[in-house]
Amino acid sequence: MLKQAQPAVIPLPAPKLLIGSRGHLGVFLWALAMVLLPSPSRGIILAFFTLGVLTLLYPAALQRLARPRWLVMFGILFLVNLFFGVSDQPADLTVLGLPLSSTNILTSLQMVLRAMVILLAADGLSSSVNIVEVAGLFERSGLRGLGFSIGVATNLLPDLRQSSLNAWHSLRMRGGFRAQWWRGTQLLVVTVLSNALRHAEQIVLAAEVRAFRPELSRSTPLRKGALDGWLAAGLTILGALMIFG
Amino acid sequence: MKFTTRELVTMAVFGALWGLVEISLGSVFHALDLPLSGMALAIVGVMVASIGRLFVPKRGSTIFIGIIAMVLKLFSIGSAVVGPMVGILAEALIAELVLDGFGKPSLPAFMSAGAGAALWTLVQPFVTGVLLFGRNLLVIWMDLLDVGTRLFGIPYQAAFWIVLTLLTVHLIFGALGGWLGWRLGLVLKTRLAVPASVG
Repeated sequence: MLKQAQPAVIPLPAPKLLIGSRGHLGVFLWALAMVLLPSPSRGIILAFFTLGVLTLLYPAALQRLARPRWLVMFGILFLVNLFFGVSDQPADLTVLGLPLSSTNILTSLQMVLRAMVILLAADGLSSSVNIVEVAGLFERSGLRGLGFSIGVATNLLPDLRQSSLNAWHSLRMRGGFRAQWWRGTQLLVVTVLSNALRHAEQIVLAAEVRAFRPELSRSTPLRKGALDGWLAAGLTILGALMIFG
Repeated sequence: MKFTTRELVTMAVFGALWGLVEISLGSVFHALDLPLSGMALAIVGVMVASIGRLFVPKRGSTIFIGIIAMVLKLFSIGSAVVGPMVGILAEALIAELVLDGFGKPSLPAFMSAGAGAALWTLVQPFVTGVLLFGRNLLVIWMDLLDVGTRLFGIPYQAAFWIVLTLLTVHLIFGALGGWLGWRLGLVLKTRLAVPASVG
């Protein structure tokens, strides 16, 4: 009797995912709650803590946030609130010869930290969860068929971009925007839309040929992480204790 | 909300178009730092979504299109785009509520939806600025007055006239966007020979 040959390369089992789609969504919501709910007196400490947790979870997102564009925005946000922020407290500090209010400094710092946390949380979520999983999350909240629609839209986007560019170049090279620019613009929009809808017709036919029916289709699967439950429980308890405790 | 395959694909097309507008035009406007670019994007976006409503005249179709556009925007750049995402969702929600309120798609419904969405761009900084970024209301108010002063040359002190002018501009351009959306939608329907289902 012949034995089945062993494959030369034995594939290693895929590493177990620690945080799944729901886990990342939970972290995002937790981060929002941590900066939106607490009282101003605790705001800065909690924002620093949340920033630390997010940095541990999404180090790449922090690198993106360190780009000059964002740093300038944070700087402006800080300075505007520092000098023009409203505070009943008179200036009680002098920094580089400028009279400043300590309340304004704390408020400005809190605003910058809050902005950083929200941007970091959104960036972390969008880089950790793919577009299909986001659709799956929405589908589970009652928007049936959204996963299919988002899939179609994502695949359609490059074609739409190309077809819009082609229509634009065709019209422009024929002088469509010179004499009657308004009519030219309307024609451009109608051409782009009708091309897109004709393309949609082909997609519908392809889906129906494959017997796709939205009411019978399964929801887009979500990745499950080993730590999702623990993470959700831990962050909820920690958040509640730090905000309300 | 139950949609057929055809309706789902049609909404996907309009969502992709709105997303494309946000990704391409939005980036250009952002780079050029054009004034009232948020309003322009909102008007074009809601115009696309309203035309979509003509093709899928069901409750929930406009917000569905908005969510598709929002998700596409979320994954477009790779960095945080919280403001535009909130904007797209709010504009879609306002357009949905207005169009639902009117029942069947009609010219007044489209114009009101466009005006409502355009008006939101004036209100959005007060909501997202305070709630999300903890900015001071007074600072946002000053920014608003500054925009009015730069655009219309109205003195800073005439706050009432600045706000009134901004409101009027947003309402007029929003309504014009709605009117254009209605016209383009009808042209498209005729061109594609879709059975009329509008009042």
